Amino acid sequence: MTRLTTMTRALAMTAAICLAASIAQAADIAVVGGKTDDAFWTKIKKGVDDSRLVVEANGGKVSYLQLQTYDNLGPDAAGLVRTAISQGVSGIVIPNWVPEAEDEAIKAAVDGGIKVILMNAGSLEKAKELGAINYVGSDEYIAGAAGGDYFGKNGQKNVLCVNTLPGSANQEARCKGVIDGVTKAGGAGKQLPLPATSFGDPTAIAEAVKATLSQDGTIDGVITIAAGDADAAASGIQQAGKVEAVKLGSFDFNEASLDRIKNGSQLFAIDQQPYLQSLLAVSLLASHIDFGTDLPVRPVLTGPGIVDASNIESTLAGVSKGAR
Amino acid sequence: MNSKTASQPIVVANAPASSSATRFSIGGLFRRPEAGAFLGLFGVFVFFIAFGSIDFLKPAGAASWLNVAANLGIVAFPIGLLMIAGELDISIGSMIPAGSMTVAIISGYYGLPIWLGIAATLGLGVVVGLVNGFLVVRTNVPSLIVTLGTLFAVAGLVLGLSVLLTGTTSVALKAPELAKFLFGQFVANTFQVIIFWWLALTAIYIYVIHYSPYGNWIFAMGGDKISARNAGIPTSRLTIVLFVLSATSAAFVGMCQAILFNSAQVSAGMSFIFNSIISVVVGGVLLTGGFGSIVGIFFGTITFAVVNQGIYFTTFDRNWSSLIIGVMLLLAVLMNNTFRSMALSYSPKKK
Repeated sequence: MTRLTTMTRALAMTAAICLAASIAQAADIAVVGGKTDDAFWTKIKKGVDDSRLVVEANGGKVSYLQLQTYDNLGPDAAGLVRTAISQGVSGIVIPNWVPEAEDEAIKAAVDGGIKVILMNAGSLEKAKELGAINYVGSDEYIAGAAGGDYFGKNGQKNVLCVNTLPGSANQEARCKGVIDGVTKAGGAGKQLPLPATSFGDPTAIAEAVKATLSQDGTIDGVITIAAGDADAAASGIQQAGKVEAVKLGSFDFNEASLDRIKNGSQLFAIDQQPYLQSLLAVSLLASHIDFGTDLPVRPVLTGPGIVDASNIESTLAGVSKGAR
Repeated sequence: MNSKTASQPIVVANAPASSSATRFSIGGLFRRPEAGAFLGLFGVFVFFIAFGSIDFLKPAGAASWLNVAANLGIVAFPIGLLMIAGELDISIGSMIPAGSMTVAIISGYYGLPIWLGIAATLGLGVVVGLVNGFLVVRTNVPSLIVTLGTLFAVAGLVLGLSVLLTGTTSVALKAPELAKFLFGQFVANTFQVIIFWWLALTAIYIYVIHYSPYGNWIFAMGGDKISARNAGIPTSRLTIVLFVLSATSAAFVGMCQAILFNSAQVSAGMSFIFNSIISVVVGGVLLTGGFGSIVGIFFGTITFAVVNQGIYFTTFDRNWSSLIIGVMLLLAVLMNNTFRSMALSYSPKKK
């Protein structure tokens, strides 16, 4: 019995002590996020899972706290922050979706000595105000401007931004960015706001694009605020007989838009690269807690990533692995 | 059983005066239930020709509103019939994406034969319609509430299954030539083939509703359900059939969209709920049931589509589109109502 077991037991105990000691010091990070049953948050979740490997290698741990519904977004997210605080975590990564509801809880976490990074929703100003160390995410206006610039550099002179959700701050910022971007590159742009009666009706969107193109022959670029709208816009361009003359772009992408980029009937798609948001946010936070590193780049923008003919193959490879 | 019930005398309030039109007269034409809807449409046409451009009536321009009208119209007919019968079905809002996702997942993602996808799509419509119909008939819960429940239930089911099976919320679909030809191609590069389905369905509905006993049964149900049942009309069975019709029609439209646009999204189609009800009301169907006509719904749908798409042929700032749509639709309904009350209170001069 005896010698072997005693030794094993001693070894096991030492290991347990070491482990306990390292847990006490290493980063314990909670990531608050959306339900992983939608495509976007599935990619965020993959970023969390991949960064966890590094954190665990250093003795820390990462947990993903997800909302059960989006019905009560702000208060529910604030509730998850309080859950994380009570679990005694050392770091929190959270989207600042509804500042009015979440700010108080985030401040409480910061005041309690927990390091916070805002991810996906928020801004650098907000991070500074709350005492968070950084913002990792995208900026709709900058993404739009990159799209407008891409059109301009590709030779488009008059770009139409099809907005199926006029009045929504995010979408307005995207279209404004596109128009400013293409204007700076020497072209012009305008927005086509569609009435609510057209939302989710691909035929109505396609016909609106077709009619606008046939009324204004100078339009040579069309961009939509969502991947599904791009399916409809592609049909509108084709019906107007302007597949050669009018180039199509979209915010975000789906399988059909990647197919179009591959076969040349869509010029590009703008991606905010959600995988990078969680991957970078968790890694930066863990490294800050474990080793005291501090990234001087603020905010950390994960988009816009442009998907076009030049990188479509590697994007498709990323899609098949669940990261794009 | 059917022939017996049909032969029983049925008191029908406000039924279309199809049999009374033995002698043709202009006045008689204006007193038909669809006359108001036609005048509403006429007014809308005049407006957009005056403020827009003539492109609006050329083939490419006409396709703009005909395509929208056809997609909407196929759903608007059964919705209109349900409203005439005193019921409502708002679950169509999620049946449209359910239809497009079903065919896209089966035939696009799994690559199974398109006919299987089409059969499954229509089968799903029948199942959801049966669920709606039985719940309404058996529980006596208002159909608005029942279909509100199935609206969300089906939407959740589609989202959940789509993510579970495919990992995404948007699935691409490349339909083979024949399916494209029948359900999702552009005739002359601009007219969706669904327009022909819509026209054919219009003819069938006109026959069934206005020239067969079933039509009178539906009007009788909307007028007074208890009396209709006492008169021997199988009201429960008819209600269930109408719900199956609306869910299947919505699934059909969703399927055609997926085949046409080569892609299906989980979130789409909610605007069809309001749009179809608006079209039906603009077409002269009473929200309280018992009054309306297929031709009226046909004109109402075109009116809605013209108002919705006509704006792109005008020079108005696009930010005003919703305002113009609202005002035009209200005017169309008012015009329709005025004509209906004139028609209903009309009494021929004594000779």
